[in-house]
Amino acid sequence: MDLLGLANYAVFMAILIGIYALLALGLNIQWGFTGLFNAGIAGFFAIGAYASAILTSLPASGRLGGYELPLVVGWLASMVAAAAIAWPIGKICLRFRSDYLAIATIGIAEIIRLVIRTEGWLTGGVRGVTGIPRPFGDLDYMPSQVAYLAIVATLVLIAYLLVERQVKAPWGRMMRAIRDNELAAAAMGKQVEARRLQAFVFGSALMGLAGALFVHFNRSVTPEAIDPMIATFLIWIMLILGGSGNNRGAILGAAVIWIIWSVSELLTDRLPTEVAVQAKYARVFIIGLTLQLVLRFRPEGILPERQAGSPPHR
Amino acid sequence: MSFLEFLNFHLVPGIVLGSVYAVGAIGITLVFGILRFAHFAHGDMATLGAFIALALVTAGLTPWAALPVAMAAVAVVAIVVDKLFYDYLKARPKIMTVMASLGVALMLRAVVQVVFGVDPRTYATGIVRPDDYFGILLRDRELYTLAAVVLIVIGLTLFLRHSRWGKAMRAMSDNPDLARLSGVDNRKVTMLTWAIVGALCAASGFMLGINNELHSMMGWQVLLPMFAAAILGGVGRVEGAVLGGLIVGIAEEMSIFILPAQYKAATAFVLLLLILLVRPRGLLNGKVL
Amino acid sequence: MALLDMKDVRGGYGDADILHGVSMTVGEREIVVIVGPNGAGKSTAMKSVFGLLTIRGGSIVFDGEDITGWAPDRIVQRGICYVPQVDNVFREMTVHENFEMGAFLRRGDLSAAYDRIYGLFPDLKAKRRNLAGDLSGGQRQMVAMGRALMLDPKLLLLDEPTAGLSPKYMEQIFQITRDVRDAGVSILLVEQHAKQALAFCDRGYVLATGANRHEGSGQALLADREVAEMFLGG
Repeated sequence: MDLLGLANYAVFMAILIGIYALLALGLNIQWGFTGLFNAGIAGFFAIGAYASAILTSLPASGRLGGYELPLVVGWLASMVAAAAIAWPIGKICLRFRSDYLAIATIGIAEIIRLVIRTEGWLTGGVRGVTGIPRPFGDLDYMPSQVAYLAIVATLVLIAYLLVERQVKAPWGRMMRAIRDNELAAAAMGKQVEARRLQAFVFGSALMGLAGALFVHFNRSVTPEAIDPMIATFLIWIMLILGGSGNNRGAILGAAVIWIIWSVSELLTDRLPTEVAVQAKYARVFIIGLTLQLVLRFRPEGILPERQAGSPPHR
Repeated sequence: MSFLEFLNFHLVPGIVLGSVYAVGAIGITLVFGILRFAHFAHGDMATLGAFIALALVTAGLTPWAALPVAMAAVAVVAIVVDKLFYDYLKARPKIMTVMASLGVALMLRAVVQVVFGVDPRTYATGIVRPDDYFGILLRDRELYTLAAVVLIVIGLTLFLRHSRWGKAMRAMSDNPDLARLSGVDNRKVTMLTWAIVGALCAASGFMLGINNELHSMMGWQVLLPMFAAAILGGVGRVEGAVLGGLIVGIAEEMSIFILPAQYKAATAFVLLLLILLVRPRGLLNGKVL
Repeated sequence: MALLDMKDVRGGYGDADILHGVSMTVGEREIVVIVGPNGAGKSTAMKSVFGLLTIRGGSIVFDGEDITGWAPDRIVQRGICYVPQVDNVFREMTVHENFEMGAFLRRGDLSAAYDRIYGLFPDLKAKRRNLAGDLSGGQRQMVAMGRALMLDPKLLLLDEPTAGLSPKYMEQIFQITRDVRDAGVSILLVEQHAKQALAFCDRGYVLATGANRHEGSGQALLADREVAEMFLGG
């Protein structure tokens, strides 16, 4: 690979890392700070992806769309759509231990997948949505990639700063107190439910935005683009490995895991076809095993949560 | 539609599917009740059991003879999985074990995909015509499935009601602190629970496979209906899991009267949200975690 | 020599001590009650006997053997049973199954043990197939005591057995406690209802802020002016 090719690849990777970092930040709000188990990340990602795709894409026969609305509208809509799905689920499930939320989010992700495949008039069915505009898409390849990277990086930075500010505010301190102490949570009752719901909805909105960034980067989206289980699981392991409860950890984890995942894909693609299929699933096995190893040997992740305001040892 | 048509094309398939869900839901409810977490590797353990049975059938066993062997094999797998991946998390919040089980789900499925591939398989080829029992059409495999489910439920109920360790399991589910004060060894109950749950997983996977086909996603796809059934019946209640399984199975088969067929799988989700909304303890008053 | 002899026990659940030197003895066939204001460490003192907290000083000798720092399951085997204040029955199991769970560690023919329990709690005989969770509060307390007695302990620890019961049931529980004592079991119990408890016990200890304050026979403590001022409304 020549130098330019390498640079191209690096930018391409960086954009995807940025998108995954947004997902990991969203999950960090839910799990890292609030202790909510979202097992349907891919569903919220897909909702955001399709919402923005439908609103901003070129007209196409046989499906809704062709509104060619501005990108910003699409991106806001992706967040609103994901939040709108998250709200009722959270409303019903957050009264109980997080196991129930996990089950329900697996369910909603499955239903979203069904809707995307079935409702061709809305989503283009298996053909998906094409003709999705990309900001600075008229530029040459490299400048266009760099420009998109700048947009993604800016959005990650904004999300990071927003989340950091929120976590350091009384809101964040309260959430951590609730997460770490079931009794305290029970004592605070109704108020806790409202706060948990905020965290769940806001985290899901970020996941929706990540979905939008993903489709505008690819200029198209099909149901196959999002494997629900693997996508969800990758985000989880990014957060746990990076350090749940630490926003920088979430971003770092996104980078580390995405690089490992992609490089291992490059390697398995070079294998002879007889074993390539097996190798593909062996990678999935290893990702599952990695989670177990991290949980066992470094549960706090690479960058552990900072205990703001508490003494250095407990 | 005549009544017999309704019976043969909707109710009977619903009951067969529902009894398979029931077997899976019993396992989920036991883990939920005794070990107190939602076990997300349940479906993929069922997949593994179905494929172990397939390997045995390929080696020459008849499918129904392969079933008990597969049940024993997955019982061992479940115990090993617990020792390797769940046991060390027991002092941490239970939700960490839920997460580990999601990882195990992925690993088990990957094992099946590497060893058996991703193409759909069947235990036996060819089309089986159903026999006519006074107008009710049943295939042998459906009859055997129902009989096996009845046997499993009766056997398990007797074990839990009357045996020393069955009572210990119920005690652990009812009041774990008091069970320990009474001298019940937590580790033994945990191991026994996993053995039973693993065997039930294999049974549900096998029955799904024999009534339809086997593929590597089969277990994951029934995880939601099985959880819905367990919660619908009441967490920790074996008889509730049976009731819940039947309701979910029949509801899925009936859903085509009001929903497009593609959305059959959404039925369980709707039932789950409904029960959480109006009666989170389930129909038979189970636990809420 | 006393059956149970606690000397200057200090300790607590985490790092902080709740008990700052508690000493008490329980003799054979004796009912000993611990009373004291809220936060005095009454239940904590009792749980220290059962190995449920970290002990950082003092000693606990039971039946001639030092059991300081033992784990609860070992203490159970040695002959001490504990009835928690709440969640002290298996609610979804029948009365009889509760007793069976109480005898989980015992092997062999248990019919004599069941006869003894149903003899002590005749009301429960008719309800042996009912779920413990469906019984009244007083009957549930009997099930809890019966479950603990199935192991044939030498010492029974009761944590506020009359909490939330009507006066009628309180009397009944006290009467049963006496019957259990007469059957040869020593009893240490914590009580909120200080006046009634001191009236029925053999001896009592008054704790305050995690240490001994007064001790003596129930009647003597009832007559003590300082004790009276402490709880009995002057």
